[in-house]
Amino acid sequence: MEAVLKTFGLGKRFGMRWAARGIDLEVHRGDIFCFLGPNGAGKSTTIRMILTLLKPTAGTIQLFGKDLHKNRCSVLSRVCGIVEKSDFYLFLSAYKNLEILGSMTRRIKRDEVMEALERVGLIARAWDKVRTFSHGMKQRLGIAQALLTRPELIILDEPTTGLDPQGMKDVRELIQRLARDEGITIFLSSHLLSEIEQVATRMAVIHRGEMKAQGSVAELLASEAIDYAIQVSPIEAALRVMQGIPWAQVLSCGESMIEVRLEPGHASELNKLLIANGIEVASLYPRRTLEDFFLRVTKGVAEI
Amino acid sequence: MTLFRLEAYKTFSRWRTYISFGVLALIVLMTEIVMRVSAREIIGSMMKAFQRDFIIAGNIVNAWFITAFIMNSLHFHIPFLITLVAGDMVSGEATAGTVRFLLIRPPSRQRILNAKYLTALFYTAGLVIFFAVLCVVLGLPLFGSGDLIMHRLGQFSVVFIPEAEIPFRMLLAFAAAIWSMTVVASLAFLFSTMAENSIGPIIGTMAVVICFLIFGNLPLAFFRHLKPFFFTTHMLLWQGFFDSSIRWLEIGQSALILGMHNAGLFLIASIVYRRKDIKS
Repeated sequence: MEAVLKTFGLGKRFGMRWAARGIDLEVHRGDIFCFLGPNGAGKSTTIRMILTLLKPTAGTIQLFGKDLHKNRCSVLSRVCGIVEKSDFYLFLSAYKNLEILGSMTRRIKRDEVMEALERVGLIARAWDKVRTFSHGMKQRLGIAQALLTRPELIILDEPTTGLDPQGMKDVRELIQRLARDEGITIFLSSHLLSEIEQVATRMAVIHRGEMKAQGSVAELLASEAIDYAIQVSPIEAALRVMQGIPWAQVLSCGESMIEVRLEPGHASELNKLLIANGIEVASLYPRRTLEDFFLRVTKGVAEI
Repeated sequence: MTLFRLEAYKTFSRWRTYISFGVLALIVLMTEIVMRVSAREIIGSMMKAFQRDFIIAGNIVNAWFITAFIMNSLHFHIPFLITLVAGDMVSGEATAGTVRFLLIRPPSRQRILNAKYLTALFYTAGLVIFFAVLCVVLGLPLFGSGDLIMHRLGQFSVVFIPEAEIPFRMLLAFAAAIWSMTVVASLAFLFSTMAENSIGPIIGTMAVVICFLIFGNLPLAFFRHLKPFFFTTHMLLWQGFFDSSIRWLEIGQSALILGMHNAGLFLIASIVYRRKDIKS
């Protein structure tokens, strides 16, 4: 799998405080890679270093296999990003903003600008000044300017922050469409777990400036014991069966529901065992969520 | 060139840019109207000392005289108008948040800075040229042409420049004025690279100009030694073109010192901006 973005021991220190330290990221082509962390964890600092807004104190960055520092112009022409909120020249129209920002990468034709505006649903507002746009429209315009340069990698720093639910949904769908239909690699940071669960293929967790985990979402969630809620009858018989299993740990027991922690890959085995012992299994579903995982790797102190 | 074109487009798309042109037009218009109404009185007070010894005849209060008269206030109001735009050139992008889009593009920070600096110089030149054209275009129909007779401020001397020589000298004087004003633009530009909004650079630049004007006029040996190196000492180099004979060497030296200021200020601005972390 080709690595589009790689960082090696990336770090940034402000005064005596390390905002990010020892960040080793690896984003593959075609990924929707989510960079997860609570507010102040170092996500934006890392993204700003990747986009050359901040100078790293330590480490190196590789984009498309080339050192960013030595090949800034050639690699950044293949990347586009939105850091925090999308801010534009408010006194210019949406069209003119895109034309100006796009022209900094390559020669832009009028049709290309209009096409980018159409893709984000802003074609009807092409000639309106950006000062009349809502926050959501500015975010979509931000994505339009990213598309205009035909990037291979789009880096988005908390792209749904401040948006209403519909705006968040629009942006999420747009991100998924870009990755699925156009093969663009997406690197996005967020502190919204639900957002990451819905769009991410791979993810990394950062906390207090340090990397805590990295991998595919499915792998990370499957790597450790998962809690299940099992609705069974009779419950006493089910408890007796489970108490004899080394890979199952009963956490709690209700009137008809048992919460049990299972080692990875044993859910169907438990189901078979219960049925074989004449126990009726009405439902068995994992209660392990990304939130559990996140709280565990950040030792439950994260404020998200 | 593309970056310069884009920067110029952005700068000249903002109404704020035209405040300076409007203010200048108002200053020139008001001055010329007042001069038209009370020219005799003004000339009388200016030439009081000479009227006992000389008979001055002809169209003294002509367009050239008015232009030179208004130019004398150049180092007061034009620097402020220049800082309005030059001081906002880089810091304005931070205020608006557009810096985050701008600096993640392939062009290097230095190239972006070069384009912005060129735009600041272009605006400065445009402002002085607008001022010159307005003075002459309004002055000629209102006051007509003629020889230029000027009283050197603080000196008991009168300078006489024949009408035929004036357009050429005016051209050189305005070119020199542009050059001297570029130092103010460079200073505002430097402050702009250090700030996150334009208020600091505007106030900072004006504070530096005022301080150096004061230091240059303090009767202290320390400042007397330093005065030849102050940019404010050389900002009025354009006046050299309105002497009886042009002192090229002095003008050249002043131009060189101003040029060194420009180069130094831009160099510092480049170092500051290339190393700057964008946290906004």
